[in-house]
Amino acid sequence: MTPDAALDRLVRRVSAQVRWRRVEHYALRGFFWASLPAVALLALKGGLGALAPSVAGALLVTGALLGAIWGGLKRTNRADAARLADRAFGLEDRVATALEWAQRPDRTPLVDSLVADATARVEQIQPRHIVRRILPREARFLPVPMVIALALTLAPALPLPSPRLPDFSSGGQEEDKEQRGGSGSLEERSKAEARERLRPPTFEEREFQARSGASTASTAGDLSAVFKDTSLSSQRPDFNSFLKRGDERLKLLEQVDRLPDLASDFTTSQYKMVFRKSKALTGGLRPDQISPQKLKELLEEMERLGRKGGNWQGDVGEGMEALEGGQTDRAMEAMQKALDKMRAQEEASRSGKGLRGGRDNERGGGRGDRRGGEGGGEGEDFGEGEGLLPGKGKSPSPKGEASRRLQANPYDVGVEGESRRGRKDGFDTNMTGRGGPMASRLHYLGVIGQYRKLMEDAITREAVPRDYHTQIKDYFQALDER
Amino acid sequence: MTDDGRVREFVTAFEGLRAEVEKVIVGHREIINHVLMGMFAGGHVLLEGVPGLGKTLLVKTLSESLELSFSRIQFTPDLMPADIIGTNIIVEDADGRKHFQFQQGPLFAHIVLADEINRATPKTQSALLEGMQEASVTVGGVSRPLPAPFFVLATQNPIEMEGTYPLPEAQLDRFLLKLRVRYPAIEELNAIIDRTTQSRQVAVERVMSGAKVLSYRELIREVPVAAHVRDFASGIVMATHPQWADAPDVTRRFVRYGASPRGAQALILAGKVRALAEGRFNVSADDLKTLAAPALRHRVILNFEGEAEGIDVDTLISQIVDGVEASTTQAREPFVR
Repeated sequence: MTPDAALDRLVRRVSAQVRWRRVEHYALRGFFWASLPAVALLALKGGLGALAPSVAGALLVTGALLGAIWGGLKRTNRADAARLADRAFGLEDRVATALEWAQRPDRTPLVDSLVADATARVEQIQPRHIVRRILPREARFLPVPMVIALALTLAPALPLPSPRLPDFSSGGQEEDKEQRGGSGSLEERSKAEARERLRPPTFEEREFQARSGASTASTAGDLSAVFKDTSLSSQRPDFNSFLKRGDERLKLLEQVDRLPDLASDFTTSQYKMVFRKSKALTGGLRPDQISPQKLKELLEEMERLGRKGGNWQGDVGEGMEALEGGQTDRAMEAMQKALDKMRAQEEASRSGKGLRGGRDNERGGGRGDRRGGEGGGEGEDFGEGEGLLPGKGKSPSPKGEASRRLQANPYDVGVEGESRRGRKDGFDTNMTGRGGPMASRLHYLGVIGQYRKLMEDAITREAVPRDYHTQIKDYFQALDER
Repeated sequence: MTDDGRVREFVTAFEGLRAEVEKVIVGHREIINHVLMGMFAGGHVLLEGVPGLGKTLLVKTLSESLELSFSRIQFTPDLMPADIIGTNIIVEDADGRKHFQFQQGPLFAHIVLADEINRATPKTQSALLEGMQEASVTVGGVSRPLPAPFFVLATQNPIEMEGTYPLPEAQLDRFLLKLRVRYPAIEELNAIIDRTTQSRQVAVERVMSGAKVLSYRELIREVPVAAHVRDFASGIVMATHPQWADAPDVTRRFVRYGASPRGAQALILAGKVRALAEGRFNVSADDLKTLAAPALRHRVILNFEGEAEGIDVDTLISQIVDGVEASTTQAREPFVR
């Protein structure tokens, strides 16, 4: 016996209602879960631009659709639908029992009466929606991503981190430090300077120092760095620092022949670039601790550079072979050889260029004088490659009697004017860390004009390249704004 | 006669029998219904209540309404099993020869009223066991069937504990239903006063024969039960067992022993009678919920904590039923499955 059509119809109707509610239910769930990546997408709309809201919307629609499909495809049991109808219409399990027993072989005679009774009751039922809507748990939290999504849509794009990969080379770190120095605290910068003083001079520093002659031995290191350093402009006025560094720069301005060769900046020197990378690679590591992959990359770069006329191709090839054989130490040696050749070739190519000529002579003279020993006279050697800053090798000050020392180095004098009378507080101008809360002992504004005048005289009197005029003036302008 | 007509006849007969009993018994509609359900289901009913509530009168009236033999046994501590079942006695025939003859006890009746059953000793109480379960008694190695339909209605007083012997679990389990006769409401009390203090005598008619009762018993067994309703009954019974993995907390805490499978049988059988008495052709979950307490209250044995806390078994069963229904409904919710 088959159940009556009315019972079937009722069950189908209830099943359809169940399916529809499931579609709603799972669509809502899908919508919620899709809203999470949609919010993430909107948060990153800076990268996607105007496309982000559209993609997020599409994501939401897709999530809801997938949920709806899932809900619609779920199978509805006839018995469950019948029970639901029984409960909803107060049929006291008539429909479920009739449907179940109508198909059973061991059905009793009463089952016929049951089916007839159930059918009669079902036909009197007014169709209505009996399946209640069950909101998923996620629906409670749906407003949260929706509000966030709305806010993100209306708000301007969030700033994204720079997509540039960090430069792990030492040069890159130094550049970063420089960049940070502009906005970093005075303490951090002082610490960095202290570290810099303790650091043994690198080849580049030695090179620049070598350019300076014996007569300019009292000046320190990298002049390009001096001009690049605008960190003072971002700091509070610290006149002691200014005294120590500012006057030194002014003095340097008068020495035209010691101006840096900016044309041979680090970025234009193949050797220095490779040298920095090799230092970053090896930095304090044993050969067996060095990454073969990175070493290989470096060797490949050297090989590439060598194609343009370099004579270190053989060493690079040897290094590559050693690396392939797993002999990192041999590869390192080969790389060092190639580096030396690069350096030699670069120096040879630079020897005939503009500013180097005069200095080379002076440098030669300086070397000659050094053999004459320390102390006294114009030929005194105050140390090749050593700076004025504390901790940078030998003291640049001449040894011996005080008056003679002053005579020997006319720049080793303080600022003009008289020191005030009475007890003076001593303070270390070489202190690291933040300055104390005490007021400046000297009138900054009173002497800045004096230094500016000196600067203006210097750049007009001496042959300072015109391109540097603006830079120098900007530096003083920055000081003045303080 | 069609099945539909048979059911309608049963409904009429059930209501007629109830109406006859109600001529004498005031109120207690539910108790009367349950007594009739027990009878038509082929089970036995234990009535519990304080003296004077009409328990005995109810059974006596029911017996008068049926064309069935009736016997009343007043249980006392000195009552012996032979006093109930019967015994072999020596009789002398016409030739003067003596021989043993079985003298039937009061148990050999269609309707047996075991009044104050808990006053008899366990030995005597146990004499009822075979008769109640097998509808036969064995005396002197000879098994003797009891008349059909056989229906035991026992009463007991829950207050007077002195000189009583609480029924053992095995004996209790033989009763299909245990009914608690409550004190009547004031309107019912007034009606009792009016009805019993006047000179007018109420005549109770015999409205149903034993054969009819047996045929209705057959009909009742044909009532179909849906699988989910049967599962509901099983769930209720299992939930009374503290050892069951899914037993509710109240069961684990207060119950020592749960209902036996007879409990589930009682639920379904009584449910079938109830369904048919309401003109329905199937057992519903509501039938089981209504009958859970009378069918299970004497089968659930409280532990010491339950006794000490004064836990009412009916309340406990109600909680169990609610819990099972909730879990079943939730588990079978077609929407989220």
